[in-house]
Amino acid sequence: MTERRFVLLMLLPAVLFLGFMVAYPVALLVYNSFFDVKLIDPASRVWVGLANYAEVLTSKRMLESAIRTLKYSAFALSFELLFGFGAALLFSAIAKHSHWHRTIFALPLMISPIVAGLLWRFLLVGNIGILNYGLAALGIIHDPGAIKWLSDTDIVIYSVAVADIWLTTSFVALVSYAGLMNIPKDLFEAARIDGASAIKRFWYVTLPMMRPVLAVVVIVRGIDALKTFDLIWIQTQGGPRQSSEVLSMNIYQRMVRYGDLGQASASATLFLVFMIALAGLAYWKIWRTDRG
Amino acid sequence: MNKTLLCTVAALCLATSAANAEAITVLVEGGGHSLQQAAADAFTKETGIEVNFVEVPYQGVYDKLTAEIASGSSNYDVVTIDVVWNAAFASHVEDLSDLFTDAVKADIPPALVADANVGGKMMGMPAWANAEIVFYRKDLWEDPANQAAFKQQYGYDLAPPATWQQWRDMAKFFTKDGMFGTDVIGATSEEWMAEVLQAGSPGVILDADGKVILDNQAHIDALEFYRAPLCEDKSVPDNALEINWGEAQNLFYQGQTAMMKFWAHAYKMTPEDSKVAGKVGVAPMIGGSAGVAGIPGPWYNVIPSTSQHKDAARQFIAYQIAHNALGIEAPLGLAATNSAYASYMGKPGYEHFGPLLETLSAPATRGRPLNEHYQEIVDEAVMPAFQGALECEDNVASLLQDAAATARDILGQ
Repeated sequence: MTERRFVLLMLLPAVLFLGFMVAYPVALLVYNSFFDVKLIDPASRVWVGLANYAEVLTSKRMLESAIRTLKYSAFALSFELLFGFGAALLFSAIAKHSHWHRTIFALPLMISPIVAGLLWRFLLVGNIGILNYGLAALGIIHDPGAIKWLSDTDIVIYSVAVADIWLTTSFVALVSYAGLMNIPKDLFEAARIDGASAIKRFWYVTLPMMRPVLAVVVIVRGIDALKTFDLIWIQTQGGPRQSSEVLSMNIYQRMVRYGDLGQASASATLFLVFMIALAGLAYWKIWRTDRG
Repeated sequence: MNKTLLCTVAALCLATSAANAEAITVLVEGGGHSLQQAAADAFTKETGIEVNFVEVPYQGVYDKLTAEIASGSSNYDVVTIDVVWNAAFASHVEDLSDLFTDAVKADIPPALVADANVGGKMMGMPAWANAEIVFYRKDLWEDPANQAAFKQQYGYDLAPPATWQQWRDMAKFFTKDGMFGTDVIGATSEEWMAEVLQAGSPGVILDADGKVILDNQAHIDALEFYRAPLCEDKSVPDNALEINWGEAQNLFYQGQTAMMKFWAHAYKMTPEDSKVAGKVGVAPMIGGSAGVAGIPGPWYNVIPSTSQHKDAARQFIAYQIAHNALGIEAPLGLAATNSAYASYMGKPGYEHFGPLLETLSAPATRGRPLNEHYQEIVDEAVMPAFQGALECEDNVASLLQDAAATARDILGQ
């Protein structure tokens, strides 16, 4: 057996697995998007061409959900990056002494999104939630019902993102810390000898060297935030007045609650294309320096 | 040798198929399992047919049954479904008309029999039912100082609220000393739907012919009344849109509200360390111009068309309804038949059965629309209008007109 054949043979199980578990469902999703088809009776289907796509692209609710998804992701991701990278810098500054800090900081990662969502729902809800009681005790708000975190349509999409930030900042911190530990120390020493200040060393050494790591974090966490479902669903179910409804929720409702497999598939296909494009763009923009 | 082998294989096959015929699988949500376990045990003892329960979360029942129907395969012989799914599954389950004898029908509240009938087909048998009733603080209501002050202020005796006006008066009266009179649930609309029926609407959202009536006067009156404690009286926490069933229950248990409308099963579930433990009284749901009315929350046993053990499944369902009282000892403590509830009436700890049965059997009590688009109508049309009204700014009638237009659009009317 040639080496090439041996390699192909070794790859075969993975190819078969990906074919059955990824390629087939995605192909089925795209196929269903061209039909008027009900979830409960997929055998009776009517070809509608691009009608489902037209419906999705002209739907005001879909557009609003899409904008909200972007707002949610941008908000969550920017705070996760800020806090996570900041924490990683702190851990790296205290280096070997950060072992326990890192372990404790990683604890939220072990909690399932459903539990985290429920926890934050009861923390944030007015009159019962601890957060408002704490703020009232500190004199920041006048009574425990003053801020309606989960029912004010202007802020609810950001309120539900707090649970996401709490849950996954530690992931960003741990990945960033691993990246920081891999930066060759001689680069910092050389910069120091050249008289670079701490800020300049951060700007001209740390950040460029961390670029691939940050790219991974942005892509992984960005895609994760864009497809968030359970964390928001458990807190608000998309309400009030659909003001915390994100795209994945819209797709879920259309498919599971309304049984409209065709239109849900069209929405999901568009969502998938958008995410692939976004990931490609992020990959190209952030990693392009690696290719010279 | 070959003959012996063939005979052995044939005997094994027969034995296996006989064994299979003696077992049925029931798909059910967590709480529903415990409500049916006692009946299942007694059924197995009497008939020899094993009953295996597959317990899933609430949404899992819908998802698994849908997947089973779509695939045409069969894993479940009986599925216990929420009434809101009756219309969606009606054409994929067996007709159980023969189980609805006159005696059975007479023993089940009429609203539950009506909900079993989808397009003339009796598609399921009620397994248990629930409805919202009034929960109030007995200690506050029985306090002579409160009784005297209330009579002086409102001109009539302080008793558990029975009408819309009494509900508002008492909510206002008990909004004092850091406590609210009651709550307004804004995260879900079922409580308002009960008030729509109390206001005399021929149905909720749709009439008997499936026509949208979301903007009729009863819907408007009910929504005006529903939001009045929040928008006019200030007798409820003002974060109504954050309040769902769990929050409403917590507010009551923490002593932050004096009364609430809630599902009857909660009467047995007051936590012992709660501020209100031992002080909870219950009364039938309040009444409007059409009298007392509630939205029943029944679950139905259905037999999927794909079941391989339809006869055994039918036997189990008939047994479960005939021995419906067996479920009452379970933690949720609910049943579907009048006789089951009657057998526990007067027993200590079951004071909620009287108000529950009265609410379930009230002439104006009616189920939610049996329409396969019900969930979509609620999510897309009802909830935006309902929650919009609870922001206390918009005009209720115009919100409901918009909602009705959306509902008509969904139904193609």
